[in-house]
Amino acid sequence: MMNVLELRGLTKKFGDFFAVDNMSLQVREGEIFGFLGSNGAGKSTTINMVSSLLRPSGGEIRILDRDIAKHSRFAKMNLGIVPQDLAIYEDMTAFENVSFFAGLYGLRGSELKERVEEALEFVGLSDKAKSFPKNFSGGMKRRLNIACAIAHKPKLIIMDEPTVGIDPQSRNYILTSVRKLNETGCTIIYTSHYMEEVEEICSRIAIVDHGKIIAEGTKEQLKATITDVKDIRIGLKTLDGLEPALLQSIPGIRVLSVQQDEHAVRIQSDAAVDNLSKILKQLIDGGMEIRSVAEQAPTLETVFLTLTGRNLRD
Amino acid sequence: MNNLLSMAWKEMRHDFRDVKTLVFLLAFPILLMLILGFALTNAFSSNATIKDVKVLVHNTSSGQLSKAYAAFAEEAGKTGIVFEDVKTGMDGREEVEQNRYTDYLEISDGGIHLYGSSRSTIESNIVQGMMNSFADRYNAAAAVAKQDPAKVATLLAAAGPEGYIQDSSIDAERQPGAIDYYAIAMTVMIGLWGAMSGGSLIRYEIVRGTAARLAAAPVRKSDIFIGKVLGSVVLNMLCVLVIVMFSKYVFKAYWGDHLLPVFLVLLTEVVMSISLGLAISYMMKGEPSGGVVMIIVQLASFLGGAYFPLGNDIGGFLGSVAGLSPIRWANQALTGIIYNHSMSSAWTAMMLNTGLAVLFIAVAAVMMQRKEGI
Repeated sequence: MMNVLELRGLTKKFGDFFAVDNMSLQVREGEIFGFLGSNGAGKSTTINMVSSLLRPSGGEIRILDRDIAKHSRFAKMNLGIVPQDLAIYEDMTAFENVSFFAGLYGLRGSELKERVEEALEFVGLSDKAKSFPKNFSGGMKRRLNIACAIAHKPKLIIMDEPTVGIDPQSRNYILTSVRKLNETGCTIIYTSHYMEEVEEICSRIAIVDHGKIIAEGTKEQLKATITDVKDIRIGLKTLDGLEPALLQSIPGIRVLSVQQDEHAVRIQSDAAVDNLSKILKQLIDGGMEIRSVAEQAPTLETVFLTLTGRNLRD
Repeated sequence: MNNLLSMAWKEMRHDFRDVKTLVFLLAFPILLMLILGFALTNAFSSNATIKDVKVLVHNTSSGQLSKAYAAFAEEAGKTGIVFEDVKTGMDGREEVEQNRYTDYLEISDGGIHLYGSSRSTIESNIVQGMMNSFADRYNAAAAVAKQDPAKVATLLAAAGPEGYIQDSSIDAERQPGAIDYYAIAMTVMIGLWGAMSGGSLIRYEIVRGTAARLAAAPVRKSDIFIGKVLGSVVLNMLCVLVIVMFSKYVFKAYWGDHLLPVFLVLLTEVVMSISLGLAISYMMKGEPSGGVVMIIVQLASFLGGAYFPLGNDIGGFLGSVAGLSPIRWANQALTGIIYNHSMSSAWTAMMLNTGLAVLFIAVAAVMMQRKEGI
């Protein structure tokens, strides 16, 4: 299968800091490729280099088997970008927004009109074509942001956190749209802070940390890499008085994270070490009231936490 | 080309839909024109009273120059100008500075030096004109003396008082009134406001996040750049046109009979201003560039005479700085076209504006090429 995107030793330096460090990656035709990394991991820098917003310090980016440094126009014609920050003009109608951006890709006249209408219909904004985005909800703006990226029918679409800050209904709409786009033959690179989204729609995933890809594969392949780790979640009445450092000192514990919102502690520990009783004793001795204890099957979140030592949303 | 025009059209669409800014762009200069034009009507009265003209003279010359001066002083005295010899202990320059005399004249065999009063400009200019005539005539006589000394007396005698004073009028019936002055000053000022539009051209895309989408699109940076400048020039020129027409037909301001060169000067000013703003926005990234542009525009407006007229004779540091204001060049150019039917200042202003526009655009273009994204 053809590589729609290929990174070969891609590097980006800011002074002495390597934001992207010798990264190599292949995204195949027809994939929805999840690109995961916590803040500062290097995924936005990578996306910005692929979308020509930043110049690489080294390495090569190939789109549809052509080096984008030498075939910039070809690469751009086949690329659609859904930036993390909304990239629409509030003082232009939805139709004008999509029409302006699609026009930059050489579409004119009736073909342009047709494509714009198609894109707006795809994201469910046909009835809002003449409305100004300043009157739109967050979800509608996100959908318009997508429409602006797809009207020219690119082969590769990069979606950088397209569901940030929107209601569940709009989020579901967008996820359905991503699948539909993929079914029409588009290859999609998808980044998100919501692990469940990635788990739901992505066929292959790369985990980025410190500018490097530290794991890559299907969900199943990634989960299979951590058979030696067990994932324990302990629900507490309150987190007041919790001393993570004491828990961390218990043998076998690899990663410990405190889930503030859920009043819970999540622990990745060596599967071979039986330390659950010690963990519970430590908590009870510290005056903590335990509400629930569960040992979970590894999820992508577990994989991410185990590999990077951080939550995706850190 | 299509992308360039798309960018220009998009830019104009933003500007026209930003009603609040558009109203401010038009209402502010019209209101200022109205307020200052009526408040300062008396300051622009064309009736000037000429005071007594007293000239203090320190004459150390001898020979022909001394004789010629004596004859000149006698003739010039008939016009009412009083020539008084400096007395011992008097400091001629100090006397002029204290406004006790209009001018101080030093005559020696080496030449004539005239120190004029900045407080009595008109009177001083009259004396200066007379002394220029005298010097020309004396030089001519000296040249004749070498060939035919007998004709010298005839030549010098031929000059009565009218030989030294020549009436000339630019346009006796047309002097700029307050509204006329502020119509020009405000129009030129909003031309310079183009710098603010220019300063926000790229920042606008960055703030809205659309810079990322533009950078990812198959559009040349130069198309984005030129398209945005073009759109901004059109909008600013339309504002200028509205101000000119409004002042002409509503306030009855005089714009002369040569509107084409007037608009050419204004066009070059607008292009230069937008280029200035654009260059500053590339040199100083982010919000501070907007503040710098605003300071430059306000200083240039103040020194260029947008709020109150500054005479042509201001000297010293203020005069030097005022000479750097594009508003001053354009004011002088338009006044020359409208009242003197003269293009000399207009050519200077247009060349300066165009030259600076090329320089600023070149700076912005180089920085844009070096910059990542747009």
